[in-house]
Amino acid sequence: MSEHKQGVLAIFEYLDHVCNAIKDIRNKPEYADYEVYSPTSYHEIEHACGFGFSPVRWFTLICGLVGTLSGFGLCILLDLDWPLIVGGKTPAFYSLPAYVVIGFELTILLGGIGTIAGMLIFCKIPNPKDTVLDVRLTDNKFGIFIPGAEVDGEEAKLLKSFGAEEIKEVGA
Amino acid sequence: MAEAKWTKSMAEVNDGVLVNLQKPHPTFYLAWGISALCVLLGVVCWAFQVIYGIGMSGLNSPVYWGVYITNFVFWVGIGHAGTLISAILFLFRAEWRNAVNRSAEAMTIFAVITAGLFPLIHVGRLWLAPYWMAPLPNSNNLWVNFRSPLIWDIFAISTYLTISLLFWYMGLIPDLASIRDRVKGFKRLVYGFLSFGWTGTAKQWWHYEAGYGLLAALATPLVLSVHSIVSWDFAMSIQPGWHTTIFPPYFVAGAILSGMSMVYSLVIPVRYMFRLEAFITEDHLEACNKLILLTSTIVFYAYGIEFFVAWYSGNAYEWAIFEGRAIGPYAFYFWVMVFCNCIFPMAYWSKRIRRSIFAAMIINVLVNVGMWFERYNIIVSSLAEDFLPGSWGHYEPSWIEMGITVGSFGWFFFWFFVFCKFFPFISMSELKLIMPKPISPEGKAKIAKRLEEAKS
Repeated sequence: MSEHKQGVLAIFEYLDHVCNAIKDIRNKPEYADYEVYSPTSYHEIEHACGFGFSPVRWFTLICGLVGTLSGFGLCILLDLDWPLIVGGKTPAFYSLPAYVVIGFELTILLGGIGTIAGMLIFCKIPNPKDTVLDVRLTDNKFGIFIPGAEVDGEEAKLLKSFGAEEIKEVGA
Repeated sequence: MAEAKWTKSMAEVNDGVLVNLQKPHPTFYLAWGISALCVLLGVVCWAFQVIYGIGMSGLNSPVYWGVYITNFVFWVGIGHAGTLISAILFLFRAEWRNAVNRSAEAMTIFAVITAGLFPLIHVGRLWLAPYWMAPLPNSNNLWVNFRSPLIWDIFAISTYLTISLLFWYMGLIPDLASIRDRVKGFKRLVYGFLSFGWTGTAKQWWHYEAGYGLLAALATPLVLSVHSIVSWDFAMSIQPGWHTTIFPPYFVAGAILSGMSMVYSLVIPVRYMFRLEAFITEDHLEACNKLILLTSTIVFYAYGIEFFVAWYSGNAYEWAIFEGRAIGPYAFYFWVMVFCNCIFPMAYWSKRIRRSIFAAMIINVLVNVGMWFERYNIIVSSLAEDFLPGSWGHYEPSWIEMGITVGSFGWFFFWFFVFCKFFPFISMSELKLIMPKPISPEGKAKIAKRLEEAKS
């Protein structure tokens, strides 16, 4: 997330108000780069914004598969490097059932790490530069930020008409 | 379980949950201090063992696995309830989990870290342990044996710790941002750093929710696999009393039983110390007890089946072990295990007892005692008397081992109390989600009208 420039932040108390406002502005070019803030993850907001499936899932899948391959690969290659015959059982490809455990654990491990990495990349965090627009947004209020707008501009009036309880100018 | 009835609104969540950042009840410091003293005792005992050698423990031929491995299995088991509550109940959308999931996840982390200490303590010369445990070639250029359950266990436990830690911390990020926005000065800097600069934009929540769901889906088979793999440490051998296919489900059920009891035993004092009664209600606590009752019946069944199979198989060695467990030198441990894990939890068939915090606290502490004895019983009784009567022996833990065990409890509680003081004890962002949605009066009227139309 880039650092916020000057703009207008509308604070909403109610979920339906903020959703109505999002549905109205989301396709208007003059409101491009709007940002919605919410204290928790409401699916209503996700739908109003028109989000589909998150691409984080691809990170999980690819990293999970890499984990499976590296788990089996580790066991098989090290066994081929120096076969360790225990209890008459030939190693490498003939001992595959025993390697399922290692393959499974590495699938979960790398899949999990990949999921977190994907989440961090798409959420654009850690981001020490990002500014907190209003402390109430992580408590119980919703917010819509329109970059470049002014407190007495058209954008502010529109957001007010959708039930914003407060409109304020933020940014330097 | 019916939907929880909330007496609080969304606006009160942050204020209500973050009371832990203020001054706690004096009993908190007392409990913290006692835990620290226990850690000190454990450290002194461990130091004795490191200086004078592993002979300071009661381990002897043929019982080379004793209290340390008992503790290892016990603490790994404790960790299981955390992932069960956070991942499996999340996928099942069991809403009561939100009151206890954060504390259960924290419990998982500290329990697995505690468990991880025991292989190090057990090997004696712990400074060589990383070399023995990692898949590194030895001096003969041999690699580790990937068909050994002990190697599987290293992979399972380290994956479990990593994933649990990631899952727990991921849940904490939005809540830490909430704290950041309430505190000032240096604290703000620290919580700002810990919350990664989270601002709660709709896009962030979108990816966050997707990631959380996927991680829960990955953690669900993981939690079932980890204790199965721990059970294979025993079941893959040919030792009578260990070599049985029922071990994985039996261990997983036992782990959830002990973990849920520990969650209950931890949540009750903290709920009192920080006045969280409005958020952790009696309904939530009753739901924990129902799960304890369920897993207790599974464990009860497993104990019975183990005996049945030992008898029905016609294997003399197997039957001798089971007979020995019930009436032999370790009968005390066996009957403590049976009463604490199978008989006492049956009291939860009564709703009055399920909802009585005093009675449930006593039963749940007893279940934890019983689960520790279960692991001791499985490990020691099988090793002490196997196929050859000539190689039989006896094992009793030494004071060093008991001191280290007390120390491990102190270590676990110490870190849990650190967590209670500085982190949100209940997941605030999830709690907000299950509270009544903040819909405007006209929005509510519109929904009511639509419902009315749909009916007619």
